[in-house]
Amino acid sequence: MHRSTSWLVALALVLPAAAEAQTIQNPTLRRAQQAFDNLDYRQALTIALTSLRERLTGFERARAYEVLGFTYSGMDSILKAVDAFKQVVLIEPERDLDPNRTSPRALSAFQVALTQILVVRQLRVDSVSFIGGQGAVGIRYTVTQPSRVVTRVTGGTLGSIRIDSTVANGQVNIRWPARMPSGDPVPAGTYNVVVEATVGQNSFSTSQPIRIAHGAVDTLPHLTSLPGYTYLPETEVPPKSWRPMGLALVYSGIALAGTSALSHGNLGSASMREGGMIGGGIVLAGFVMTLKKPAPQPARGNILYNSLLREQIARRNTEIAQENTRRRQQVALTVVPLARPGGGR
Amino acid sequence: MRPAGWIVGTMVLSIIPSFHLSAQHVSLGPQIAFGDYREVSSDLHYRGTGLGAKATLMWKKFSADVVLSKVKYKPKTSAATANFDASEVDVRLRYYVTGPVSAELGFINRKMDPEFEAQSVGAVTLGARMAYVLGPGVHMSLNGGLLFGSKFSGGGTTSALGALQLGLGLTVDALHGRVLVTGDYGFQRFSRKTDDGSGALPAPIQQSLGRMGFAIAF
Repeated sequence: MHRSTSWLVALALVLPAAAEAQTIQNPTLRRAQQAFDNLDYRQALTIALTSLRERLTGFERARAYEVLGFTYSGMDSILKAVDAFKQVVLIEPERDLDPNRTSPRALSAFQVALTQILVVRQLRVDSVSFIGGQGAVGIRYTVTQPSRVVTRVTGGTLGSIRIDSTVANGQVNIRWPARMPSGDPVPAGTYNVVVEATVGQNSFSTSQPIRIAHGAVDTLPHLTSLPGYTYLPETEVPPKSWRPMGLALVYSGIALAGTSALSHGNLGSASMREGGMIGGGIVLAGFVMTLKKPAPQPARGNILYNSLLREQIARRNTEIAQENTRRRQQVALTVVPLARPGGGR
Repeated sequence: MRPAGWIVGTMVLSIIPSFHLSAQHVSLGPQIAFGDYREVSSDLHYRGTGLGAKATLMWKKFSADVVLSKVKYKPKTSAATANFDASEVDVRLRYYVTGPVSAELGFINRKMDPEFEAQSVGAVTLGARMAYVLGPGVHMSLNGGLLFGSKFSGGGTTSALGALQLGLGLTVDALHGRVLVTGDYGFQRFSRKTDDGSGALPAPIQQSLGRMGFAIAF
């Protein structure tokens, strides 16, 4: 049991170290790590303490304290392990141990170390794009002790503006509308989001650089149709009927009967030759029209429907035009977090 | 200008290239006329054929027809002995009222040549016209009315309801409406009375006139 735990601890040390871009150059520290890997805790302790008296980089110093922390954990010296991990966190506030690869004892010592020092960790700024005044940038961080935390944005022509001030412990989420005190959108440029935590005489601050870019707000396209609604044909072909033939017969009949009726008695029977020829032509035309496909007639219901549809589209396009006018006066803000040069202090 | 000259002029106009009149519809074209003419009694009966021309102008609710015709009448009975030419001008102004109905106002003037072979006549026409679309491009009409203020070259008068007219019309669009085939029928009856001092004597005049032709639409 003790042996398997040590293996896990060793793995937890080796893998993160291998993943880091930086490597351990100091030979003493290497020997200390080698001794720890060989589960020679006494040797690892002695050599790690010796390496701390030598000239080490920040990364190597953090690794040296980490070896000490794991070694003390393995030797059941929890208080000393906590002290060693506190040094690790102070040097590398973002440092985290993988709970799947770290012994519970070392993990709990690391957690206790976190609660005993004041650091602001895991400061994250969301990459987001929104219309100025209609959205906000998400900012998250974790503060390890109850403290007064002030969040500011600095840089560019902005100077320094406070965007949040709160007493917090643990994870904190805030939303920043990216606006100046006057209400105008923050000018485009590179800024720093600075989070500063204070408890009594202790304070810790960390920062995250961000870039804010300005862009034009997309305008809405005008509508040519409403979804789900289509124009209806404004004419419709009525069913075939004998009406043309009937009316031709009636008109011709009236003319011929009228001629006969109005004819003067003294002049004999009226001549039907002229009226008959023209009337016959009309009846023939009526017969042909009866057989032909009727002419399309205006469909009043459809015309009214299309008129309403056109009015709706025109009204919507007027609204869109007003909205586009408003949007052309707006600015689209794009906030992108940049790579951080280092940790907090 | 003599009526014959008008007819020729109208025919010439009908074959010249079209021109556009904004917000107006104009058609103009020649017609063949054939008629039946009776006067005083059934013994004076004539029939004849001739030429005519018809011009139509439409503008908003207004429209106007101008019809010129010259028919050479020949006797059909033994009592009638001489031929004569009847030159007629028929002008009608129309105003659309409602539905198929339009109101008509116009005048007719018919001159006979030789002058005393038959009665020349002039009158003001007042009536109504009903039009109906039989089908695409096919229009028919029925019109009727009274002839007021009739004047006759041989004298005589008609009562207020003594002079009547009745008509029938057909227009068929051809060549996409650029050419119209036209057919018209007109019946006129004047219950004319003359008085030579021995009392009023009936001397009615009656004409049936058919016309067929075509017109160019502008």
